[in-house]
Amino acid sequence: MQYTRPLAELRRADEARFGGKSASLGELLAAGIPVPPGFALSTSAMRAPVHDEIAARYAELSESVREPSPAVAVRSSAVGEDSADATFAGQLESYLWVRGVDEICVAVRDCWASLNSVRAQAYREHLGAEHEAATGVTIQLMVDAAVSGVMFTCNPVSGDPSMVAINASWGLGLAVVGGEVTPDDYLVSKVTREVVRERISTKDVEYRPAADGRGTERTEVPPDRANVRCLDEQALTRLVELARQVERHFGCHQDIEWAKRRSDRELFVLQSRPVTSLPERPPKAPASALSLVMSQFGVPPHASD
Amino acid sequence: MASATPAIGAFPSPYSIETPPGCEGWEEMYPYYAIFDERRRQTDENRFWFWNSMHFPVPMPAFDVLCIDSPYQAVGSWQNRVFAVPPAMGIDYRIVNGYVYISGNPVTDPEKIAERAGFFQKRAGYYFENWSELYDNWRVKMEALIAELEELRVPDLPEYEPDEVAFGDERNTAFYEVLDAYGRVVRLGDLMWQHHFEFLLLGYGAYATFVEFCKGNLPDIPDQHIAQMVAGIDVLLFRPDAELRRLARLAIESGVDSAFIEGRSPEEIEAELSQSDPGRGWLRELGEVKDPWFNMATGDGLYHYYRSWLDDPSIPYAALIGHIGALRAGEQIERPTEEIQRERDRLAEEYGALLDEHSRQTFGELLGLSRSVFPYVEEHKFFCDYWFLTRWWNKVREFGALLADHGFLEDGEDVFQLSRHEVSCALDELVLTWATGGQPLGPKHWPDIVARRKHILERLGEWTPPPALGVTPDAVTDPMTIMLWGVTTERVQEWARQQEGGKELAGAAASPGVIEGVARVVRSVNEVADIREGEILVCGSTSPAWAPIFSKIKATVTDVGGVMSHAAIVCREYGLPAVVGTGRATAQIRTGQTIRVDGTAGVVTLLDGRDG
Repeated sequence: MQYTRPLAELRRADEARFGGKSASLGELLAAGIPVPPGFALSTSAMRAPVHDEIAARYAELSESVREPSPAVAVRSSAVGEDSADATFAGQLESYLWVRGVDEICVAVRDCWASLNSVRAQAYREHLGAEHEAATGVTIQLMVDAAVSGVMFTCNPVSGDPSMVAINASWGLGLAVVGGEVTPDDYLVSKVTREVVRERISTKDVEYRPAADGRGTERTEVPPDRANVRCLDEQALTRLVELARQVERHFGCHQDIEWAKRRSDRELFVLQSRPVTSLPERPPKAPASALSLVMSQFGVPPHASD
Repeated sequence: MASATPAIGAFPSPYSIETPPGCEGWEEMYPYYAIFDERRRQTDENRFWFWNSMHFPVPMPAFDVLCIDSPYQAVGSWQNRVFAVPPAMGIDYRIVNGYVYISGNPVTDPEKIAERAGFFQKRAGYYFENWSELYDNWRVKMEALIAELEELRVPDLPEYEPDEVAFGDERNTAFYEVLDAYGRVVRLGDLMWQHHFEFLLLGYGAYATFVEFCKGNLPDIPDQHIAQMVAGIDVLLFRPDAELRRLARLAIESGVDSAFIEGRSPEEIEAELSQSDPGRGWLRELGEVKDPWFNMATGDGLYHYYRSWLDDPSIPYAALIGHIGALRAGEQIERPTEEIQRERDRLAEEYGALLDEHSRQTFGELLGLSRSVFPYVEEHKFFCDYWFLTRWWNKVREFGALLADHGFLEDGEDVFQLSRHEVSCALDELVLTWATGGQPLGPKHWPDIVARRKHILERLGEWTPPPALGVTPDAVTDPMTIMLWGVTTERVQEWARQQEGGKELAGAAASPGVIEGVARVVRSVNEVADIREGEILVCGSTSPAWAPIFSKIKATVTDVGGVMSHAAIVCREYGLPAVVGTGRATAQIRTGQTIRVDGTAGVVTLLDGRDG
């Protein structure tokens, strides 16, 4: 099988062939982080007959989860995507709750097509990415999420590296990523796992898998549930652990999509990419402790050397 | 006082405050310079004054004014004349309706600031470099001062002087001895305040620098984590309660714990104990512990009301009953010092590891410096505010007793209704008429004054002072105001907003957790005994001398104080939610009201009824 590989076998070096998202998921799996299993299509698959290979990988996946036609997410995995200075977030299409080989193949073709869509082109031009448009595809098992969201391994607003900033809302991640709800907002200390700040919002919309198990549907959340805190301490603690693991693995701050599975409340990382914008810190001249104390008492800086 | 000056900004003009009915003439209790006087209106009206409710939550009795003058003389001397803190001289105070308002004197001329910086760096630098040694010397100095106070005798006025006066050369006559002793008591008080402030600014400053460094590099770090990294493990202030826990265990081990019944007075408990051998053994052990550990004040020490545990053992006995009950129920009552130590080191290590290499080094240096200054920050209260002051007030009481013996006062305690100068004056007349055998006027003069002032103080106690007066500053820049009182620009703006009243009070998140319960507003130490199990303490500020009651309450809310305040420290110890520095909790909340204390967010919500 020359055009596909299980995600678990991919590493950073495979990005050129399989795109950033697939390579990054491979790294996460290698680091022992819970990521839904799946497989990747290489960029060269765009011009190749891959139906049979997809069918074989999908059968492996089906067997590994003991489910006849498991639902998967089909996403673009562009080369140059997911790098620290360019987040293609939302610029390339994702297809959720896709079942069966034929549907997957349709979604894969749509991914390829979306690469040339106007907005993706514009975005790439904006970034000055000159390489030829090429994309791999990530095919990953769906998580039926009761709650999902995103988290940063630092506070993206203040830049505090000791905090994990977590956004969470009911259902699949679409509502949060698409900005359709104001998610609950938690700031949790990496050091003590305390919730330092939280803001519970009215989460009045959620996405669920459609009734027939194909695609998703948007539903209203009844008011009595919309205002309820959607993560408990235990889940927050677990998310902080995951965030630290991911951060340690990549060695820089990460922006992580996650989901909490409905059936058993397990938490999964769906994808992770470097944080692209952090507040600029004014560069500070090295200062000794004593000179800082002096300035606390209003000793002018030039006088304290 | 009843002029119609409009409020400037959010806070009223100090010249617009009305005297509460029945309190006319309150100014007579205070020195002329302590009043908002028309002759100084031009400047005073255009300054920002805030109510120092942290140190002076209730109206000042005339004598207690010494505990305003002397500290501000001392703090100004060190800050302005010794260390020359570049942008800030000393602190001015004024009294309005018995309440103390303060305002810093800034230095604004850049040349002056630079000149002062030269002094400050040399002198403060010396202290930081030699801190431990200087602090050791300080403790010796303080203990000597306390011993001197203890040795000071307040003489009687005998009908005939003893033979030693007639035949010896060493003894003075009693008139001189009385006046001399009074002068020395006053001067020893001044000396204590001088010592009190020698290290305070520098200690707080070093700590505040560490706090700011942490917040600059870790903007969301909870205040309590910073405090936890610095706080001492084996702190003197925890010792009194540690001794009580030991005595509680001893009571159980020696089988006398059944004497400790809720509702019994200390006298009743001691009476029962004195009837058995083991009971007498326990009382002997208590006697050993009492000095110095019962030299704890029942309040923050700046009023004569705050007696020590020695004078009023009801607080330590209440704590003993609580500890014994907890031990019987199989609870762990020890401070988990090893755990605290481990957590302190873990926090420091993990936060340090999150910083870049250069910041990590500065972090380590500042943490080291903070830890070396912190014993002073935590311990000076025990030496000065508790041990010395409670005994000092008792010395003043001895003069009160002398005046009462001779009919100048109806009760010795009334001495605190006279200013220190008036007491000096009354003593002058007393020794004069004792010497001459003439008829003193004092007995017809002072009791009326005392009665009037007691009445005025009581009425003033019902008045609620605004948190601030005068011009709202654009920014609070005085490092002392920020460090010592936690009065920051944000806090002042918050006060200004709250002038409108509201259901929520914001303050500093001092100890995490959220809890709802019934409020108990404690405005003076006399009300401490009213606190019931499970209530939320609402007060001006707490002092660690109250530590034992923290095992009874569910949460704490204070008017003034930052995360360095002792209320905050003790609440974190006890794992109680606390919001400090709300500005007006005691004014807005009433006893019995249900409130929610969010010590994580620093918000207090009034759940039933709006106002107190």
